[in-house]
Amino acid sequence: MKASARLLTAAAMTLALPASASAQTEINIVAFAPGFAWADMFGVSGTEKTDKLRAFEEANDITVNIEFADEETARQKVLLDLVNQTGTYDLVMLGSDGAVQTFSYAGYLEPLDDLLATATDYFDPEAVYPQFLEANRVDGQLWALPYYSFGAGVIYRQDIFDKYGIEAFPATTAELEDVLATIKAGLEEDGMSDVYPLTMRGAPGEEPSLDLAGFVYAYAGYPAWFEGGATTPEEIRQTDARPIFTGDFRPGFEAFVEWSREYGPDGIATHTWVDMMNLYGAGQAVVLMPSAINGFAALGGTENEDVANHTAFAPSPKGPSGEPIQSFWTFSVGVSAFSENKEEAFRTLAFLTGEQAMQGFAETVGWPYSTFPSITNGEVLTAKWPAEMLSQIEASYEQANPHYFPYIPELNAFMERIGTAASEAISGSKTVDEALEELQAWAEERMERAGYYE
Amino acid sequence: MAVSWRFWFVLPMVVALGTVVLFPTVYLFWMSTQHWLVTDPERFFIGLDNFARLTGGADFWQSLRVTGAYLVLSTVLMLGLGMGLALTFARAGTGWMRAIVVMPLVIPPVVAGFTWRFLLNGEIGFLGAYLLPMAGLDLNPLAEPRAALVSVVIADVWSRTPFMFLIFLAALQSIPRDFYEAARMDGANPFHEFFFVTLPLLKGALFVAIMFRLVDAINTFELIYVMTRGGPGRATQILSIFGWRTAFQELDFGQAAALGVIMLAITLAGALLVFRRFVRGQVGAA
Repeated sequence: MKASARLLTAAAMTLALPASASAQTEINIVAFAPGFAWADMFGVSGTEKTDKLRAFEEANDITVNIEFADEETARQKVLLDLVNQTGTYDLVMLGSDGAVQTFSYAGYLEPLDDLLATATDYFDPEAVYPQFLEANRVDGQLWALPYYSFGAGVIYRQDIFDKYGIEAFPATTAELEDVLATIKAGLEEDGMSDVYPLTMRGAPGEEPSLDLAGFVYAYAGYPAWFEGGATTPEEIRQTDARPIFTGDFRPGFEAFVEWSREYGPDGIATHTWVDMMNLYGAGQAVVLMPSAINGFAALGGTENEDVANHTAFAPSPKGPSGEPIQSFWTFSVGVSAFSENKEEAFRTLAFLTGEQAMQGFAETVGWPYSTFPSITNGEVLTAKWPAEMLSQIEASYEQANPHYFPYIPELNAFMERIGTAASEAISGSKTVDEALEELQAWAEERMERAGYYE
Repeated sequence: MAVSWRFWFVLPMVVALGTVVLFPTVYLFWMSTQHWLVTDPERFFIGLDNFARLTGGADFWQSLRVTGAYLVLSTVLMLGLGMGLALTFARAGTGWMRAIVVMPLVIPPVVAGFTWRFLLNGEIGFLGAYLLPMAGLDLNPLAEPRAALVSVVIADVWSRTPFMFLIFLAALQSIPRDFYEAARMDGANPFHEFFFVTLPLLKGALFVAIMFRLVDAINTFELIYVMTRGGPGRATQILSIFGWRTAFQELDFGQAAALGVIMLAITLAGALLVFRRFVRGQVGAA
């Protein structure tokens, strides 16, 4: 071959390489928790690409770009991207406690039911605990797939229970209240003023609302936000259901506030997920509820040997209605309705939430929660956690009603207001009645404005 | 009429200002008149309804009260401390001592907020969990509503006082020494010197400082967001935090824009008042 021909061939190959690379479809994702979420794909820094991810990219001719931010920033990026309909992100981080409902009703998400069949090699919907899919169904349609997720449960210090003669974790809220009083008295007698019987979260904003809604459900026996327990816009419209925050919502709300004030740490009115986790990890709380996942997160980093060695799990106690206190959440990821590559985006989503991705999560993080029964009962988790605990966790999924709060477009705003009302009542700046009356007035106005009662 | 050649030199700045100042402002006003809920795909003109709804709710007035208390408390403390430090360092103090005083100014509010949050934490914080209880103060500074407001004021004062210090120091150093010598010859003591020489000559700087502070306080966000998120409850929810909640948590962009317009009006009115009342008077008197 002549030199000029070689030169031409080399030039053509050089040009062809980037051309072939650029032919790959790019899928952009925004999420939080770098080095934790999908650590098996993006490494501990959140900026790498592991062999596992590269193999997916090669097999599907897709380039996956992820942008990590802190949770609040990531949520705002998602919101602005969807509202402006830019489609910058093909896959958006959501949550089953507001974003899935709000954005699906607004038309910002792509329904996934028809796409499910296109990627069963990565995500088999039949193989998932159905409750985690149900949590992401709005108006009968599936809008997001669950990544790490959890149900209700309690984590507590067995050594302190033993010390005060408490033989088993209580099965009901009434019994638990007695136990918390016993622990409080015992701690006071022993001069342990920096250890609190209970930790929950009471920061203003949406933080407490997921758990508080679980208290309301357990005390009322139904999602007592609107008359008759209406949980969808259609039900609210058809039955003209008005907010009942000063009605059946009250007992659960009051219990949450009173327990926080009576048995929680002094700063509970400002405590977030991270604070309650740190407090438990530092050995300064005896019971952590209503979702044990915070405790498992704390166990991973604790240097307190008592916490590491004497933590036990118990099912969530049942309220006066006979229903357990709920806490059910999925880190959901959806496909933007404004994505130009929806099928590729869904294929990526199926890969990122599928069985092998959750297996990676179990191996890197090791929490006893998984969206797949095969992983809960698989080698990794059964080697790490007691079988009884894993079966109790599985039972909590079966008992869960993912729709224990209404699935309405305004859910984000309601979660924000309910949490702030709880924070006000816990801090003492308002009484329970004052906080609920204000909440009721706001809710009535908001529902009227949204046109529910025309 | 031929366009002056000077016009073409000004044009880029006019375009730049129009793009980054005028357009967003006009857009804000337009948004404030819209029914714009993220949960509702329909957007339409609703006149002043957002303003009426905003001022008809308890949240707005609560936030306004908190903003007022925050503004007054922090301004008084900042001016007093800034003036005291400037008077001290105008006469004594080396360069590195001034650098230490100015240091908090270069620390970003987010970092300052985190630092104070951990210091004041009632369970593990050095101040909140150890020093305050040792001093007999049995309260959780960030969880008790009034203490939380005082806490964010203290953090803000710590962070922004150096700016006041620099304004006053520059103004003090511009006062001719002759004035003080003349006052002393007339028998003035240091107290007289301050009230009859220093303070009148610092009036301009003082009101410039107040104007800056007014704008700064109304727009404070990061520090309070990081320290308390406006809590406990709404105890430290100033207008900017309320606006963030309305826009990004309750997803009511129209009402958040209306709040933005009101905040703009308050800031402009306050700044104009200070400017007309004092700064222009100073220039006129000079």
